[in-house]
Order: sequence, then C-alpha cells, then structure tokens
Amino acid sequence: MIGHQLALIRREIWEHRAIYVTPFVIAIVVTLLTLTGQVSISAFGDAVDLAIVGASNVDAVHRRMVLTGILSVVTSVFAFGAWIVTVFYSLDALYAERKDKSILFWRSLPITDAETVVSKLVTALLVIPLVSLGAVMLTQLAILVLFGLWVMMQGGDAGHLVWSSAPLMDLWLAGLLLAIAMPLWLSPFVGWFLFVSAFTKRSPLLMAFLPILILPMLERMFLRSHYLYDAIFERSFKPPIANIETLIRFDESDFRLGEDAISIVSSLDMVRFVTSPSLWAGIIVCGLLVTAAIYVRRYRDESY
Amino acid sequence: MTTTSLVTARNVTKTFGDVRAVDNVSFSIDEGKILGLIGPNGAGKTTLLKAVLGLTDCEGELSVLGLDPFRQRKQLMQNICFIADVAVLPRWIRVAQLLDFVEATHPNFSRKRCEELLGQTKIRSTSKVRELSKGMVTQLHLSIITAIDAKLLVLDEPTLGLDIIFRKEFYSNLVNDYFDGKRTILITTHQVEEIENLLTDIMFIHEGRIVLESPMEGIADSYVELLTSGENLAKARGFGPIATREVFGKSVLLYENVDRNNLKGLGELHTPSVADLFVAKIKGAQA
Repeated sequence: MIGHQLALIRREIWEHRAIYVTPFVIAIVVTLLTLTGQVSISAFGDAVDLAIVGASNVDAVHRRMVLTGILSVVTSVFAFGAWIVTVFYSLDALYAERKDKSILFWRSLPITDAETVVSKLVTALLVIPLVSLGAVMLTQLAILVLFGLWVMMQGGDAGHLVWSSAPLMDLWLAGLLLAIAMPLWLSPFVGWFLFVSAFTKRSPLLMAFLPILILPMLERMFLRSHYLYDAIFERSFKPPIANIETLIRFDESDFRLGEDAISIVSSLDMVRFVTSPSLWAGIIVCGLLVTAAIYVRRYRDESY
Repeated sequence: MTTTSLVTARNVTKTFGDVRAVDNVSFSIDEGKILGLIGPNGAGKTTLLKAVLGLTDCEGELSVLGLDPFRQRKQLMQNICFIADVAVLPRWIRVAQLLDFVEATHPNFSRKRCEELLGQTKIRSTSKVRELSKGMVTQLHLSIITAIDAKLLVLDEPTLGLDIIFRKEFYSNLVNDYFDGKRTILITTHQVEEIENLLTDIMFIHEGRIVLESPMEGIADSYVELLTSGENLAKARGFGPIATREVFGKSVLLYENVDRNNLKGLGELHTPSVADLFVAKIKGAQA
C-alpha cells in the first residue's frame, strides 16, 4: 500500500515537472534580483556606508524584524507560486490521462482507483507545498549568503548584522506549519479541482472556475443571500491560524511590521486552527469531492 | 465450472439504454487456449472484453480466474494483462521510468526479463514514449506484458494501425516469447487472416450474440468449402450451402455439417478460412 503510494507519487512528479521546475525558477529569479539589487544599491556609495553604520547601531530586535520581513516576502512569493501549480496540477491530474487514453494502461495494473486518486490528492496537498518549502529554505540561505558577502564587501560585520540576526529556525518552522496547514485549509478547492478533472470532457479550467464565479453571483441576484460567496471567498482569505493585522500593522499612510513579526511561529495559533469547525468542514467537503472523483474514475468507461 | 476454466460467462448481458451490446452470452475459456474473438464493428466485442477486464459492470454471471472482475479488480489485475489499443502508453514517460513504475506496482513483473526482451529491439531505456514509433510503442508494451507472469492476456486490436512488418513481428513475439502453453490469450482483431494459424479456438460475435464457438480443429470437421461450376453447381446447391460466392467465374459454396463424402465428386474441397467462414456466418445471421 505504502509502496504503491510512493511509486504513484513518484510518477506524478515525473509527469508534472512544474512541481519542482516552478520553485526552482522562482528561486533563481529571487536570487538574481537580490544580486542585482545589491549591485545597484552599492552605487550609492556614502549612503550605503551610513546605512550599514545605522544598521549596526539599531538593536537586535529591529534587525531581526527587518530580516524576518524580507525573508517572509520570499516565502509568500513561493507560496503563491505553489498554489498556482496546485491549481493547474489538480485540474490536470485526472484529465490528461483520459485525454491521451493512458488511463487504460494505468488501469491495467493492479492498483485501485482509490489508490491512484489519493496519490494525486497527496501530491497536491503535501508534495507540492513541501517541495516549495525546500526551495524557500535554500533561497533564504542564498539571500543571506549574498547579504553577508555584500555587507562584508562594504566593510560591515556580516556575522553580527546578518547571520546572528536572521531568525532562520523560526521562519522555517513557521514555513513548515503553514505548508501543512494552508493546503488543508484550501483542500475543498483541491477536492473540487480533482473532481472536475475526473469529470469534465473538456476545458477543466473553465469548468472549475465558472461555477465558483457564477454561482455566488446567481445566489446574490435571485436569493439575495451570500452564503456561497462567504463559503468560497470570505473563508479562503481568512484562515483561523493567525491574525494578519498582528503581523502587519497598517497605519494611515505606511505599514510597518508589528511586534509579533519578531517570531512568526509564536504568532501562529495552531490550536485555534486545528479546532476550527471551518477547517473540518472544508476537509469533509474535500473528502466528499475526492470520493466522487474516485467513483467517476471507477465507474465511467467512456474513455474506452 | 471446471478447474481449468479461466473465464466462465453465463447469460452475460450488457445494455446501454435500449441497445443490448452483449446479449445473453455464455461461454468459457480454458487454460492454455488462444481464443480469437471475431466480430464486425459494434458487435459487442469491446464491451465483452471490458466486462472480462472488470472495466464495466454487467448482468448475468461472469467469473474470471474465479473472481468477480468488476468487484475484485485489483486482485484480478495481478493475473491479467491487457493491451487495449496501440496508443495507450503515456507519451510523456521514459522507458526506464515505465519499467520502474511497473516493477513497483506489479508483483508478477520481472524487470530482467523485460530488459532482455527490449534488448532485442531498438528501444532504448532513455527514450520517451513520444519519441518512439507506433510499432515500437507496441513492442514496448508487449515486452512489458510478456515479462509479467499473468494467467490471462487480453488483446483488443493490438496491431491496429501498424504496418505489416510490425504486425508479423508482434504475433511471432507473442507466440515465441509470451505463450508457453499454460498462459491463456483472448484476442480480438479485424485482421483475422493474420492470426488464424495461431488460434486454438474461435468465437464469432454479432449484434451482441455468439454465432459460432469452436476449436480451430473443429472447423475442418464441421465446415467445408466446395469450388465448383457448371452442372455440378445445381447439385451442390441441393446440399444446402450456408453461403455462396463467386471467384473467377467459379462458385464457392460453404457447408455446415455436410459430409465431405457427399460433396467429393462435385469439385475441389477445402477447409474454409476463418475470414470466409466469418463473412458467411455474419451474413447468415443477418439474413
């Protein structure tokens, strides 16, 4: 059973190279941008020297905050990329095999439809986020190395300014928690995409997004209610895991990092998240849709 | 059910709306047989194969290797292989990856054997399936299947769209590498003449019903073709041929269960080819 799952997941990674190519490309781009940013900043000569002197005099908490802020932006770029990959992956997962008829070959092997569909769900909810997290960690290290080298070249103390100030463990632990939690939070979408992918005869992207966009509109027009809108849009952007306001405080014209940004892990409320009915409702919806996808793959035979 | 029957069907029916694709069919396939399932397009061959492979549910009793194919598919697939059509191997996969995957998921697959077989072809393990010609994809698929120690192999039009060289090679590999006298093969094809000498049994299906089921050697006992012309023709007609056709000004009459001795003086006698018998039977069933 486990052996089958590993083989099936490995097959998903072979087929959908975007799972690792996308984070790799983002990593390259972010690293290059860091490099070019440093080169262009270096042109400011005296101002740079002043900044380094300034940074050296700021207390450790503030240095930590700034680095946390910069490195968190990197994490969110990867998270966004991973979500796009997840959407396209799960829409393709049970559609491509029907389109090229390879489903007949896969189904000629002693593997159940449930095993196959579950491997695709695991790939979407676990493999894609973890591969991206790996890329995040490597990219953050690369950025810190570049920062350190740059500070050294400008005559600053890299160990003091960069290495001892970067809360890497905190960032990585938070990254791991979020890489597990966020896919679960968004799992009803993944379930829906897998179901559409198993079900639709053409254009899975359109078939998946039209109902998501149109049904809430129809509900509002005809029933004057907004349950669907809340369930789809309100819920998606408000995971009960952290208060976005405590992480970033908005003032009138500018925003600055709040005190909690010093430790992202401590700002995450995993207990509230795990005990949230909304999370479990989403997981149940995902389970139902995935079961439906298994059922469709098992019982429909129009592909032959 | 005898112990050597791999497939037993009793009153199997499959309907799609009003259409009875398979209509109350009963048959059995014994171990070690190579059964040709022959029928025109839309006769219900594929539906019947799908039922045997557990890809579709059906009414009636159907047992394959002692299992209910639809409900016990996973166990069934450990001992059944099938090639549905030439184009079903995933195009994005590399040959080595394909072998890795089958090795990890199929308990009866011998990678060594498969690599030996592939060594006799031009297929390289680093190639992607999309880079291979249609014939090579079929070779690859057959090599994988030959390396799986399965009891039953189901082939549905396995050589469709292949040129004559690959077709001949496919069947010669099938008989020489795959078939060992104990394995059982169920095969459908339009190109009957290419496989008739390797079949042990034959079954004709038309409009969902079996119109002929016979061992190959039984065909010579039951069917005879008479090539005749002129005054003998009228006499020959008196014995009630099931079909008549014209060849170069002569008539070929096909008889079922007519003693060859009665026809001896009337012209040349042959055992009919499967293709001619098939045409005669199907036309007879339509009349």
